[in-house]
Amino acid sequence: MRNQVEKYLNKLLAHGLIDAREDCALYGLDDEISTNLDRVPGEVERLFEILSISSLVHARPGRDLWRIITALCDESLLLITPRDSESLTFIHDIPVVDTFDPDQIACALNRRKGCIVRDSGIVTLGSVSVEQAFIVLSSICFACFVKYFSDILNTICEFSPEIRPEHAHFEQALELLDGFRPPSGINDLPARIPDTEEGIVHAMDITGKLMVSRRLVDSFFGNISCLKGDDLYISQTGSSLDELPGYIDRVPLDGSSTCDLTSSSELMAHLRIYELTGHRLIIHGHPKFSVIMSMFGGELPFGQRRSVGGIPVVSGEVGAGRRGLMHTLPEALVEGHAAIVSGHGTFLSDAASFSNAFERLSAIEHRCYETYFETLRKNGIEVP
Amino acid sequence: MDRPLTSLKGWYIDLEKREARPGELPDDVSRAFLGGRGIGSWFLGACPTADPLAHDAPLVFATGQLTGSRIPASGRTAISAFSPLTNTICSCSVGGRLAIEMRKAGADFIHITGRAETELVMTIDNSGVTFEEAHLAADLPLSEVFASLARQGGSTAAIGPGAKAGCRYASIMVDGTYASGRGGLGLVMASRNLRALNVMGTSRLTSVDRAGEEAARTDIIRLFDASPAIMGRSGLKNFGTATLVDLMASRRMMPTANFRRTYFEGYRAFSAPTLARHGRVTHHACHGCPIACKKRTDTSLPEFETLSHFGALNENNDLASIIEANRLCNEAGIDTITAASTIACLAEIRQTRYTGAALVEKVKEIVTGKGDGELLRLGSALMARELGVPELSMSVKSLELPAYDPRGAYGMALAYGTSTRGACHLRAYPIAHEILRKPVATDRFSFSGKARIIKIAEDLNSVVDSIGACKFAFLGASLEEYAKGFSAVTGLELDTQDLLRIGDTISSLERHINTLRGFTRADDMLPQRFYTEAGTNGPGIEIPPIDRAAFEEALDRYYRIRGCNPDGTLTEIRTRGIALCATR
Repeated sequence: MRNQVEKYLNKLLAHGLIDAREDCALYGLDDEISTNLDRVPGEVERLFEILSISSLVHARPGRDLWRIITALCDESLLLITPRDSESLTFIHDIPVVDTFDPDQIACALNRRKGCIVRDSGIVTLGSVSVEQAFIVLSSICFACFVKYFSDILNTICEFSPEIRPEHAHFEQALELLDGFRPPSGINDLPARIPDTEEGIVHAMDITGKLMVSRRLVDSFFGNISCLKGDDLYISQTGSSLDELPGYIDRVPLDGSSTCDLTSSSELMAHLRIYELTGHRLIIHGHPKFSVIMSMFGGELPFGQRRSVGGIPVVSGEVGAGRRGLMHTLPEALVEGHAAIVSGHGTFLSDAASFSNAFERLSAIEHRCYETYFETLRKNGIEVP
Repeated sequence: MDRPLTSLKGWYIDLEKREARPGELPDDVSRAFLGGRGIGSWFLGACPTADPLAHDAPLVFATGQLTGSRIPASGRTAISAFSPLTNTICSCSVGGRLAIEMRKAGADFIHITGRAETELVMTIDNSGVTFEEAHLAADLPLSEVFASLARQGGSTAAIGPGAKAGCRYASIMVDGTYASGRGGLGLVMASRNLRALNVMGTSRLTSVDRAGEEAARTDIIRLFDASPAIMGRSGLKNFGTATLVDLMASRRMMPTANFRRTYFEGYRAFSAPTLARHGRVTHHACHGCPIACKKRTDTSLPEFETLSHFGALNENNDLASIIEANRLCNEAGIDTITAASTIACLAEIRQTRYTGAALVEKVKEIVTGKGDGELLRLGSALMARELGVPELSMSVKSLELPAYDPRGAYGMALAYGTSTRGACHLRAYPIAHEILRKPVATDRFSFSGKARIIKIAEDLNSVVDSIGACKFAFLGASLEEYAKGFSAVTGLELDTQDLLRIGDTISSLERHINTLRGFTRADDMLPQRFYTEAGTNGPGIEIPPIDRAAFEEALDRYYRIRGCNPDGTLTEIRTRGIALCATR
């Protein structure tokens, strides 16, 4: 348990979700509480008494991220309702409470897996492991980021300057934007698909790690697959992009095995993409500005498309349901080998090169970031 | 006629007097125990030391308060009684249309005591309860029993030749193919001289908050769609539970040769893709379930546990014989897991193998009582004891282990021990996180954190079984969404943590009842084999024996978390709290 606490503390730091180790307390409970603190605060002991849970994380997000979240709290009062599809599916909405009072927090966590505490940060829980609380925390940060910048863009574009409502956060948003510029840099990922299983796993591993270390995505926001002969190698559901070895399924294409029961929920979309494109690898992630710009223009009715920066944006929900992205995305990838699922994330396919696919994922995020600025300028906002 | 979904009404049946008395549970009872399994356990708590076959010990059919709503996968019935196989409290969650018909007939529970003088068929509809002489031959196969009793639009629960012949693991079958399989509740029904229960209801059920119900439904369906285990290419929707065969083999936790090994080379003979080629497969669902995990061709296809145990556990790679063994068990109304495990146990005792036609012959012997039939009808624990080798029964509290080898998943190992009905995979279902990675993956070879995980999961599943929901739904959705649905449907403002507290009460009450029936810490231990013999290693996978000391430490932690003494009995303060709830 102590190992889990240490591992996810380090991840929070590595992902930039917190600024310093002191900004986060993690607790894992079996019959005794393990924590990174010297002692367990009485309020937390009380929470573990009230709630039937096995883990709790209380973190104050990094400075700029926290400014975003507090701004949303100011507007939303009791509840923040995200609109991106991952958040809608998995966290639904985010309760807001005033102080780190166990009863207030318990009241919020009785119905949701995480909440925002105005005076101290985010509190999340898990019934199985510390990882669960970590994922919820990461998801809340993502949901708030996307909602904040989406709302601002929508407000600016919805109203002409003369009738635009006063928005206290315009200046703050512009100030913050520069700090969230997607990182650049060359990559040394393989330019061709390795011949061996070990090579493919290694290529997927370093690609996933680079997606996370470049902060294009957090650990759990994406998946990768690669074809070799009659087998597909694909990351498992809920696997961490920066810890893929051991968590990649080998799936026979002929359907002779059901071992893909643990594969990514996007397996069926991947298979259809391969069928239509003839490509051999796919990477998928949820870079923030790609998601934000894909939502610009309002909800996209199922089956319709638009584009952002020349990249097709399609509708579709997570997984294999009737309105699942497997019905809309694959055709969009045939043309430009890249598409964004509205409110969800970017998919790239490539014939051979992990390097090219990654580069395009990164380039699309940059393009969406720039498009965000351009859209502000077009609507009369002075952008530095 | 509309009826609200909130109140819990039902029937108290005295078969000896052929009397049916309507009853309504007090609000505080339905709030404290919800329905389904919770209500069943509450009823059984009134006579905690009763003999399973005593006529004053109740046999309870109970529905959950979600049944009849638009909340998906919420059409399960809980059947509860004391088990003649294990002597523990026992409850089975069963599908089909029984729950919805009971709700529409205004029978949220049916509490049965007494023994009818002659064998009866009982019918419940909106006008009340009627009894008819059964006039059915004892050895009549269940398909014919169902054919003779079928009513338009109704649902039937019946027992077969297995129960009539005194098999200790006889099941109650519902609507032909759905089994209340474990623990021998069919024998309890036979002991009351009740052959079948027909239910037909016509009321329209209405929720308190239709908009809230629809919102919860939307959230749940979205999560089902996002779950590879439910709607994925190899999910339950496409392949049913048979989809687990490949995964269990690849993880080297497929019980083989009466648990002497954990990998069976011939598993592909009964894997889901092989079954899919067996004929034109059709998909069948319990009421209101979009998953439709039940698969049929011209016959009902075996579930994962049945495939694995009539297959690997008996070292049998002959699919036709597995399907035939399953059909025979369904026609006779006997539990496939215990039947297959008892045959595998006998095979080990005799140092032989029963495969193909020989396996089918052994099942026929159970049904007819010929050959080894009388012996096999005892279940593996009693049979092995009678043969002087009790250690060869792979059971906990006399209930045989299902098809997940505990050496390959330590949470599963602990859950087999702590389950209140014996070695049951469904009381905590740690396979969800140890294998299927839901809600997140845990280290399957570690006991770290597992005591609390198992305790919380037991409480969760007590709730699931008490609101009428299906456990498979929780491979996608969580109690968070179901709590929202429950509140919308019933108007009872119960959140996730309220429901888990109720689940704790139900789980703890069951443990307390078992204590009163003489069960102790020793009964929470696994068979010795799992602590001393290794499983079968695979590529990058080592399956050592379970460290007994580590298991016992995890059990100690579980007891502390559950509020038990080191001997597994509830502490005095917990006992008082539970007794207070149980005597409402």
